[in-house]
Amino acid sequence: YVLLSHLHFSVRLSPGLLGLLSQARLHSIAAEKKNYLQEEPTSSHRRNASQFDWALMRLDNSVRRTGRIPKTLLQKVFDNTCHSGSPGGNQALLLLRSCGSLLPELKLSERTEFAHKIWDELQKLGTVYDVSHYNALLKVYLQNDHKFSPTDFLARMEKGNIQPNRVTYQRLIAAYCNMGDIEGASTILGFMKTKDLPVTEAVFSALVTGHARSGDMENAENILTVMKEAGIEPGPDTYLALLNAYAEKGDIDHVKQTLEKVEKSDLYLMDRDLLQIILSFSKAGYPQYVPEILEKITYERRYIPDTMNLILLLVTEKLEDTALQILLACPISRESSQNDFGSFFLRHCVTMNTPAEKLKDYCKKLKEAQLHTSPLQFTLQCALVAQKLDLAKVLMKALKEEGFPIRTHYFWPLLVGHQKEKNVQGIVEVLKGMHEIGVTPDQETYVNYVFPCFDSIKSVRAVLQENGCPHDDNVFSQAELRSKAVNGNLDYILSFLVDLAGVNFYCVCSNLLLLLQCTHFLSYQITELLYKDGRYCQEPPGPTEAVGYFLYNLIDSMSDSEVQAKEERLRQYFHQLKEMNVKIPENIYRGIRNLLDSYHVPELIKDVNILVEREKTDSRKPSSSDLESKLEKLKAENQPIGDILKQLIVMLCSEENMQKALELKAKYESDMVVGGYAALINLCCRHDNAEDALNLKREFDRLDSSAVLDTGKYVRLVKVLGKHGKLQDAINILKEMKEKDVPVKDATVLSFFHILNGAALRGETETVKQLHEAIVTLGLAKPSTALSSPLVTLYLEKDDLPAALESTIDCYEKYKILPRIHDVLCKLIEKGETELIQKAMDFVSQEQGEMTMLYDLFFAFLQTGNYKEAKKIIETPGIRARPTRLQWFCDRCIANNQVETLEKLVELTQKLFECDRDQLYYSLLKLYKVNDDWQKADAVWNKMQEENIIPREKTLRLLAEILRNNNQEVPFDVPELWYEEEKDCPTSLPSPVEVNLQQGLLNACHRRRNKGKHAFNIFLTAKKQNIVFDNETYARLINLLLMKDNSTQAMQVKDFAETHIKGFTLNDAANSLLIITQVRRDYLKDALTTLKTALDLDQIPSRLAVTRLIQACALKGDTESIHDIQKLVNGLEDSIGLSRMVFINNIALAQIKNNNIDVAIESIENMLTSENQTVDPQYFGLAYLFRKVIEGQLEPALKKISIMAERLANQFAVYKPVTDLFLQLVDSGKVNDARALLQRCGAIAEQMPILLVFCIRNCQRPGKAPVMKSLLELIPELIDKEEAYTCLMKSYVFDNDVTSAKALYESLTAKNVKLNDLFLKRYAVLLKNAGESVPFTEPPESFEFYAKQLKESKETHL
Amino acid sequence: MSTRGAVVLRTNIGRPVAFVRKIPWTAASSELREHFAQFGHVRKCTVPFDKETGFHKGMGWIHFSSEEELHNALQQENHIIDGVKLHVQPQKPKALQGDQTSDEEKDF
Repeated sequence: YVLLSHLHFSVRLSPGLLGLLSQARLHSIAAEKKNYLQEEPTSSHRRNASQFDWALMRLDNSVRRTGRIPKTLLQKVFDNTCHSGSPGGNQALLLLRSCGSLLPELKLSERTEFAHKIWDELQKLGTVYDVSHYNALLKVYLQNDHKFSPTDFLARMEKGNIQPNRVTYQRLIAAYCNMGDIEGASTILGFMKTKDLPVTEAVFSALVTGHARSGDMENAENILTVMKEAGIEPGPDTYLALLNAYAEKGDIDHVKQTLEKVEKSDLYLMDRDLLQIILSFSKAGYPQYVPEILEKITYERRYIPDTMNLILLLVTEKLEDTALQILLACPISRESSQNDFGSFFLRHCVTMNTPAEKLKDYCKKLKEAQLHTSPLQFTLQCALVAQKLDLAKVLMKALKEEGFPIRTHYFWPLLVGHQKEKNVQGIVEVLKGMHEIGVTPDQETYVNYVFPCFDSIKSVRAVLQENGCPHDDNVFSQAELRSKAVNGNLDYILSFLVDLAGVNFYCVCSNLLLLLQCTHFLSYQITELLYKDGRYCQEPPGPTEAVGYFLYNLIDSMSDSEVQAKEERLRQYFHQLKEMNVKIPENIYRGIRNLLDSYHVPELIKDVNILVEREKTDSRKPSSSDLESKLEKLKAENQPIGDILKQLIVMLCSEENMQKALELKAKYESDMVVGGYAALINLCCRHDNAEDALNLKREFDRLDSSAVLDTGKYVRLVKVLGKHGKLQDAINILKEMKEKDVPVKDATVLSFFHILNGAALRGETETVKQLHEAIVTLGLAKPSTALSSPLVTLYLEKDDLPAALESTIDCYEKYKILPRIHDVLCKLIEKGETELIQKAMDFVSQEQGEMTMLYDLFFAFLQTGNYKEAKKIIETPGIRARPTRLQWFCDRCIANNQVETLEKLVELTQKLFECDRDQLYYSLLKLYKVNDDWQKADAVWNKMQEENIIPREKTLRLLAEILRNNNQEVPFDVPELWYEEEKDCPTSLPSPVEVNLQQGLLNACHRRRNKGKHAFNIFLTAKKQNIVFDNETYARLINLLLMKDNSTQAMQVKDFAETHIKGFTLNDAANSLLIITQVRRDYLKDALTTLKTALDLDQIPSRLAVTRLIQACALKGDTESIHDIQKLVNGLEDSIGLSRMVFINNIALAQIKNNNIDVAIESIENMLTSENQTVDPQYFGLAYLFRKVIEGQLEPALKKISIMAERLANQFAVYKPVTDLFLQLVDSGKVNDARALLQRCGAIAEQMPILLVFCIRNCQRPGKAPVMKSLLELIPELIDKEEAYTCLMKSYVFDNDVTSAKALYESLTAKNVKLNDLFLKRYAVLLKNAGESVPFTEPPESFEFYAKQLKESKETHL
Repeated sequence: MSTRGAVVLRTNIGRPVAFVRKIPWTAASSELREHFAQFGHVRKCTVPFDKETGFHKGMGWIHFSSEEELHNALQQENHIIDGVKLHVQPQKPKALQGDQTSDEEKDF
């Protein structure tokens, strides 16, 4: 059989959600269409456009900041462009243009090579080149001094059917000129003339260079005259060409003369031009003239990038001395040592293999010039990044000479490189280098960087010995231990502990912690061994200290939620330790106590306390009995005892001896001081003793009303008082916190949350509401999503979904947050509450936008296993990836180990626009790793190839790790990483040791995986083995199966339970669920039986279940069953919350379905006209019946009903039915029928309360504007009612009906109606969104503000 | 179910931790520990290294044993290691609202 998902059912039953979906899609389609009009109608185009934007932004930013593009960046952009499919022309242009002087760090030849690579690659990818691309390539050639044949180039263009343009010819002329080929240039110039192309300054500048390079300086100078004759005034470019020409000849005199000439003219050379001259001098071998030009440079800020660019270029050209000269001349502010200058130079020198000695010298000079504070350190860093061991050694030695410490981790980057390549020899070289410098490798060096290169640690030892690498055996062994611990190798650790004494126990402890973190269980074995084996504890502190330290670190290493989750486990562990006679010193106990306090589990403190070694408490401190006798002595001598009493009480408190402390207090009450009370209050709170805590607090106040407790103690008081139902007292404490200005920290807010959440889980509605209200209104904490979530949790736990949703919405209206909206939605979907879903979605859509709504719905469908529906949502046109939301859901799936859900997410988002597929697959792999499922991981590898995803390195590494852990071959090359710290490793690793079937089943129920299939399978397994679980377990399983619509399986479980557990029955909730499921599957008889069974058991079935059953019977025309149900629930209506109208409507409907129209009408009429009415006519709502009749197009029935309604109105003055009918007609679009009815029965227009309720209900949903408009047309008087016109405007705004809204506004203003701000605000926003002007001043505040204002003003009027 | 809500709020808040940025590459956890020891007892000091590169990422966390010690550290304007100024801030950027001395110490 096919299992229908809940939504299918919902859709079938009520078109609401489906309508909602299609509406959402329509919205998006409309948006999409709008885009189409603006852009070309291909999505690939848009993708390219965004790709281009990204690339442009990256390259542009780089040029703007540094005057250059690093090669890696260009490569990255190039790679990205290639992977994006078919790169567009503009992308190609962008890339080509970047291959010239913007790459100063590359040799000229390499730049051109790069350009060619890009050219060929993109062409292969289908990029179509036009003249702009050829021109860009020419420019690159020119900038890179690339030698090429211009005629060949032209031929190539011709072959590509590209017409050269003016720019092409200009550049070709420049190319000839650069080679000194005047003849060639002339040929091209001839071309230009025949084509009648204008000759510009650029051509003349080129000719200057051309003549100069051909050795004819005279004619080069002459060009300027020729230009003038041709009517073109030589500009800076021409002069620069001339200047460069002289510089190349080393003719400083002519350079100076020409510069003077320019200065005298009104021309102006920029720094950038002067830098060109410097370059020409340097490249031609005349660095001696550089300073003279440098003097003329103004160093404008905006030219700093150009200067840097030149410096880099000079280094590339091996002219690093000149580069340094320019660098040192830069007038960088030397005062602020914050920003080192020259790093780029040093880094590039390292890249270009500048000799080490030279670099050392440069560093010295930079430091002397106060340009750079730590040039040696920086250069060393560059050398390490570039893995240059020899250079690094020289620099380290230099640093050492300066007295700077050389630390172990300096060598790690060097080791990393070799480790990736598994280059043993390289590793050995580095280790030798370390020795040479005088640094010994530490544990981390071995564990993280050396061991991973070897197959086994044994072989490391051998290789090191072989190569004469000295190593400290002790450090080495510790490293070995550590690496085993990281691997979770318990046996090894145990044997190590047993075999190998003499290792520092702190080291052992830290390793054990690692081990425990990895394996996630508390090993008594290890703790005991640590404690009992004398060898670890020979040192003076002894075993107590070792274990204490160990426990402290264990708890410290756990997160607070972990400790909270494992509270019971830890408690057992502590008691086990106690039984083993393990003791810990008091000071460490105090540390642990503080930790537990900060984790919000003070309840565990008393459990640790039992381990404290009492006898050995610090002998300097007196014991409690000492203090007590001292106290008695003082008392006897009539001396003041306040101080000693406080001391004693504090001590008893720390010993958790509540009884004794309280006795003492009672005995010496008059001598109590505030401090003693504070400690006592805290103690009582810890022992959950609300009564005494409260009394003590009162005494404390009496003693000194201005005294203030610590924040933590106040919070604990609130918790204990709240828990014991002393709500007002708890609120008073909160008030006192506010009054006394007690500091509220984040931890305090967290504590508030725990208090509220605890109460919510216990179902204490008032406690949650009132405490939350008090905390928020007092301003102790902001109403955050987290803090407010218990308000919703409260109802979710009770399965009261309408209230849960209401509460969430209420939170939004009050605080602009939507706590637990996901959980609420999931439950609504599980229960098929279409109307509430619609309500929730309308709300989210309106308040947070359609996209948010779609994601909310998508996640909820996924979570509840309604994958088809989820698919529909995520395929909504126009939806795009929201990475943070997707990640949120992924993390959630990983944390809850929901494999199927996450798999579906990844599957369904395959085509999602802008979706980071690799990231999603990475998440999926993370989850597979948790479950150690290498087969699925391997399948991911294939899927990614299928989808053409380029996996990021981390993804590959993770995949390799999973495969390797399962002894599988890794089918790809992966940068080796032996162990990666997974800080975010989920805490929910299964502990296979303790899993028994029942627990497994409950867990499976909890996780709700595979529609309960997993849980059901466990049930089957147990059944085979004749294992019987307890009542609760079966109930949970049945509930789950029912919720997942597996009623057959549910019945199977039920039968088994009934036959194996005496008196096993389903509870209320399960029976209600069963009824709903049976109704859904159309097993009405069975559903009726279930209802009977439940009622026989004195259970109260849910309203929903009974209503569903009644409605289903009505649609079948089964009057009899409805009567039966009525009898069955007789007397229980109020408990169930069932209105009598449900029966009246449905019985009538059933009769009508059976063609007993007259009977139905007669009985309704009787009810409304008889003496003893059971329902007040005002509440006699027949809208449901009318709607069903109209929807079902039951014309004869409708006619008769209409007659009845009119008769009731005209003869009996009962107007409710006729008004309801009228409204249903309007609502169904039968406006003419409605109008006719109104004409026959004018009193309808006077039924204002009924009409207004209709308006208010309808304006909550979108798509009702036409209905509202029709209603207004039919009953124009409605406009006089504020509620009505408010609703009308709301509806028009909802549906963007500007025309109707305008008409409404105009008719209202024509009547001089005073409109409230909320109304105006709403109208103004509508107009603005439609791009129209607002004919009045828009109220400046927010909607919420005016809504609140309006509400308040109404309240005061009341 | 009860822990699910708690996860939302799971952080290290309430514990005296300093978040340090801009640590020079030459310094590692022992240098930091040494520096911050002047403000109090450093319980834990982590400077995670990137095992892809062999360098750390310039960030670290100093766990003090009390708020007061953290406060002391934050009070100091300049923290300089190897000539480089560190950026030190409390683990969570929210303001600390003054320190409270324990009420049990008070005698009144």
